[in-house]
Amino acid sequence: MEIKTEIQNIVKRTKAYNCVECGKCSSVCPISLLNGVCLPRVTVRKALFETTDVLLRDELLWSCLNCGLCFERCDFDVRFPEFIRDLRIVAHKMGQGGVLSHNGALQSIMRMMASAELRQNRLGWLSRGLETAEKGEYLYFVGCLPYFDTFFAYLDLDLLNIAKSTVKILNYLGITPVLMPDERCCGHDLYWTGDLESFKILAQLNWEAIKATGAKRVITSCPECYYMLKQEYPKYVGKMEVEVIHISQLLSENLPELKFRKPKAEGRKPRKVTFQDPCRLGRFAGVYEEPREVIAAVEGNKLYEMGKNRREAICCGTSGWMTCGTWSKQIQVARLEEARRTGAGLLITSCPKCMIHFKCAQADRDRAKRAKIEIQDLATFVAENLMERR
Amino acid sequence: MKTSTADIITALKTKEVYLQFPQIGRGRYPIRKIEPSKCKVGCPIDTDVKAYLGLISVGKFEKALEVVKRDNPFPGICGRVCVHPCETECRRNEVDQALAICALKRFLADYELNKGRIKNEPIKSSRREKIAVIGSGPAGLTAAHDLVRLGYRVTVFEELPVAGGMLYTGIPEYRLPREIIKTEIDAIRELGVKIELNTRIRDLNKLQRQGYGAIFIAVGAHKGLKLRIPGEDEFEGFLDCITFLRAVNLTGKAKIGKKVVVIGGGNAAIDSARTALRLGSNVHIVYRRSRREMPANAWEVEEAEREGVKMHYLASPVQIIGEDGKVVGMKCIRNRLGPPDSSGRRRPVSIKGSEFQIEADTIIPAISQEPDLSWLPKVHGLKISKWNSFLVDQETLATNLPGIFAGGDCVTGPRTVIEAIAAGHLAARSIDRYLQGKPLRDEAKPRERVEFEIPTQPKGKKERAQMRKLSLQKRRSFKEVELGIAKKRAVEESTRCLRCGLCFECAECTPNCDKRLVALTIPGEASGLLLRVPVDYAQFPLSNEPLQGELSWAKGEGYPVIVEPVIAKVRDDLCRGCGDCVEICDYSAPQLYEQENGVKISIIDQALCKGCGVCATICPSSAITMGHYSDGRINRFVEQSLTKKGIVCFVCNWVYNLIEDVEEVAGLRVIRVICSGRISPALILRAFENGAEGVIGIGCPQGECHYISGNETAEQNFQRAKSILRTLGISAERVKFERLSSDEPERFDEIISSFAEAIKKAR
Ligand SMILES: Cc1cc2nc3c(=O)[nH]c(=O)nc-3n(C[C@H](O)[C@H](O)[C@H](O)COP(=O)(O)OP(=O)(O)OC[C@H]3O[C@@H](n4cnc5c(N)ncnc54)[C@H](O)[C@@H]3O)c2cc1C
Ligand code: SF4
Ligand code: SF4
Repeated sequence: MEIKTEIQNIVKRTKAYNCVECGKCSSVCPISLLNGVCLPRVTVRKALFETTDVLLRDELLWSCLNCGLCFERCDFDVRFPEFIRDLRIVAHKMGQGGVLSHNGALQSIMRMMASAELRQNRLGWLSRGLETAEKGEYLYFVGCLPYFDTFFAYLDLDLLNIAKSTVKILNYLGITPVLMPDERCCGHDLYWTGDLESFKILAQLNWEAIKATGAKRVITSCPECYYMLKQEYPKYVGKMEVEVIHISQLLSENLPELKFRKPKAEGRKPRKVTFQDPCRLGRFAGVYEEPREVIAAVEGNKLYEMGKNRREAICCGTSGWMTCGTWSKQIQVARLEEARRTGAGLLITSCPKCMIHFKCAQADRDRAKRAKIEIQDLATFVAENLMERR
Repeated sequence: MKTSTADIITALKTKEVYLQFPQIGRGRYPIRKIEPSKCKVGCPIDTDVKAYLGLISVGKFEKALEVVKRDNPFPGICGRVCVHPCETECRRNEVDQALAICALKRFLADYELNKGRIKNEPIKSSRREKIAVIGSGPAGLTAAHDLVRLGYRVTVFEELPVAGGMLYTGIPEYRLPREIIKTEIDAIRELGVKIELNTRIRDLNKLQRQGYGAIFIAVGAHKGLKLRIPGEDEFEGFLDCITFLRAVNLTGKAKIGKKVVVIGGGNAAIDSARTALRLGSNVHIVYRRSRREMPANAWEVEEAEREGVKMHYLASPVQIIGEDGKVVGMKCIRNRLGPPDSSGRRRPVSIKGSEFQIEADTIIPAISQEPDLSWLPKVHGLKISKWNSFLVDQETLATNLPGIFAGGDCVTGPRTVIEAIAAGHLAARSIDRYLQGKPLRDEAKPRERVEFEIPTQPKGKKERAQMRKLSLQKRRSFKEVELGIAKKRAVEESTRCLRCGLCFECAECTPNCDKRLVALTIPGEASGLLLRVPVDYAQFPLSNEPLQGELSWAKGEGYPVIVEPVIAKVRDDLCRGCGDCVEICDYSAPQLYEQENGVKISIIDQALCKGCGVCATICPSSAITMGHYSDGRINRFVEQSLTKKGIVCFVCNWVYNLIEDVEEVAGLRVIRVICSGRISPALILRAFENGAEGVIGIGCPQGECHYISGNETAEQNFQRAKSILRTLGISAERVKFERLSSDEPERFDEIISSFAEAIKKAR
């Protein structure tokens, strides 16, 4: 297909032609607020009125976070994140791309996972006391945690604790989940940075592996996996006879069964916590309340909301391991400051990426004071507070 | 005329090549040569002459001395008595006169002595094996020095009460003050070498029984050859030169009369004559050929004549005349020069009836020496030549008995100090290989000799530095005759160096080196070249952008090239201000600067950056670009070369230079990066993504990184990649970081083949 036509199709598909240039998007876009040359409105305008060249040179094409704030705000249903995603697919085909963080190491890992011959060692973290199965009704889709944990070892995050905690919670609920030794990256980042082809392979391989386990319900602890498996996979692999559930949803469904520790009895002070809505879980999948219900149920903690929460929540500043620079850092620091302003001492999120990005922003000594707040994943937070079973 | 990268490489190897920037002015930058300079090739121990001259010229005397000491434990001694073949080779001979290389070496040693020498730290022995060295001459001491530095325990046995061999007992004090010998031997002792004086070795088996795993025989050549004329050995007053000099050197006196005749034309003859002169005698030298054929150093002969030694050239002794059991004179015959003999010198032919007589009460023959083997037991099993020297394998110094090596004068017959030092180095190397069970010979290629063109600019003729000398009146003592050269003169002299090859080769391309790494590409050609170009900041464009340049190597011929400085630059929109680069850079090039809005951003000082690229590998946001040597470019090399499955081998610049001529092993892709620290986890992962079967990085040995600690970052980067690849099911054997020392470039093949082997097994 000719590029020009392809772009016209994207404009149609994402309703970009609806744009009236009101500029509301630019007034909420975290990037626009810092970098004046990046304005969603202008990018759309270029798609409508300028040459392909001019459009594909637009800076926002690669610095957009796909956080969805603009779409949330848009009164004319312009699906800007998808518009950018599809433009990136076009640009990628032409050999263009953004600046990949960590020199592209993470993308390499993901693309290597798209090889069918791959034999991973991804379950080494499973320890005694965690019960899993090879076949069964429930499947836990771990995501890239085994890779992130090694790659970001220098940030000292213990990301695999998220996976361990998730299995622990599932076991607590009487579920022995299937874990796939040949699970692959869900493909979110490749898909959202333009590498459609690799994404398709990953999706196909994952779907076949899931089918082979006979699972009926797929649990994820990562919002990106959740959103991709639930909403994007069916578009590429066909109808999927499984239910995809984020761990926060499963938890909120089963709240009555969860017995939490009693901090008072243990002589601990109650904690003030706040919650970061991951964009893929919130704006992209509409899961806002479940994590909050879970947090509220954990005894002795009180949730303090940040000024911008739920639909308005500000993103963690980076997406797709790309174009992560000064703007990202400023967004992260500002968000962490906002979290501190609630008076909370603990920031809970349910996305490993939010965790990585925030911790990275905290890592430099200079900023550390202003941005200092403890950060924890929802799953580890819950697992830690569960009462030991007799 | 069309040119290609291959042409440039050939030109770089054989010619003077200059880089210039037409738009900037007239400055021309000589580009580093790959071949060594002639002085270095001429030196038996490959001294980096150009390096130390270059460093003297910029006043870095300590560094210069360090360069000398790299190959030579005796700078003060060689600076005085070396026969300096380097000066014979020096290309400045073709302009006016050779550089005073030897004198400059002495200058450095004097400089250190005047400043006060810092004692050497003893070296901890890291090996169990004991090594015995017989003889404390330059050969023995050099071997001991090297071996102790390799971690062995070494004992040197010396039959005389002093250490130093001929340096002490042969060469007279007025040429080589005892203080100098003592200081330099002390320095070797400080490293941990034991020297047992007054210990004559008589039995090699005994040494072996005492647990010495290897023995180095370096007993020199101390037995004077016979004249084979009537009257010899019959009369009192007949004294071999070695015995004579040893007596004077050890006791300050010798039994000689007032009328001394020395026979011979080598250094030993001249030294004997000048020594006798200093003891108050009248001295004659009888030599059978003309002055031109004399093997002694010309400058020594000249001094001897100036001091009043009477020369009889073209004369041979025929008979010693005695009375009452004492020498009274010598009958000689005159010669003329006939056709050349096997040594290439013209053979003396005696002229009938030309006999004459010289009055004498002492006759000192100094015709030549051979090793004295009387210490060996009757049955020893060592192969001995017909000249009574030890027969060894020239390339390894191994004798016919395992574990026993021999070198120096006792193998070659009387030669020179520097050759003895070279033998010491070789012996140490062989002994080390022997004790490690490695084959003694290695397949290192013989050194290539290359012809250079002389650069005509910018040096005009300039007189060579002369040493000040002790006045003739004072020469009746053993005071040192040559007085060294002053600092100012030394610096001046060093600038006469033509810098053949032009890079100092001092490996100083670390903190202080004013050379900038640039990439050259010819417009229209894909591949590029990495070169190091001296930078004159007034004229070298300081820019991160590609520049138009011109490369020239023939008169007036210029070739357009694109020059891209390989230097780190931060993209400010991408910098997160984390400061990781500030922390890792060994040159303090990156600094964080606070911007108006309070946001910090790193800026890299171009003048400080050395272009190693270490920072680029750890920057989380890929904000740092390395000019020409971008990841994209490196990845493209990998992609292009990995058409079939194979091994990707990243090597640093220096390793690359070592292995340049190595033939491509099947399936091996060598990719050059600047410093091994430039190899990021991402590059390694990417190579696997592109189908590599294994990725190996090779950098310089620990502590020898040309970018201070780049190879340590490399180690960490490889570790990081390894742990990720393990999760991806790629076993640890397939990712490796190795180090290759310039001492053993041949190990490259070994490294690669064992890596390939390990990969095969891992499968
Ligand atoms: C008078 C004279 C002047 C010279 N001038 C110069 C000069 O200007 N420049 C130059 O480059 N070269 C000069 N040379 C040559 C140079 O000194 C020698 O080539 C060099 O010293 C040889 O070194 P070597 O280690 O092989 O042996 P040596 O220096 O001869 O040392 C051998 C040592 O082994 C010891 N030894 C022998 N047998 C035993 C045993 N059984 N047990 C224990 N110890 C033993 C000896 O006592 C001696 O100390 C000169 C030589 C002489 C004689
Ligand atoms: S490492 Fe990269 S992000 Fe960090 S300060 Fe340096 S240039 Fe900026
Ligand atoms: S390339 Fe090397 S020298 Fe230059 S700033 Fe980076 S770490 Fe420092």
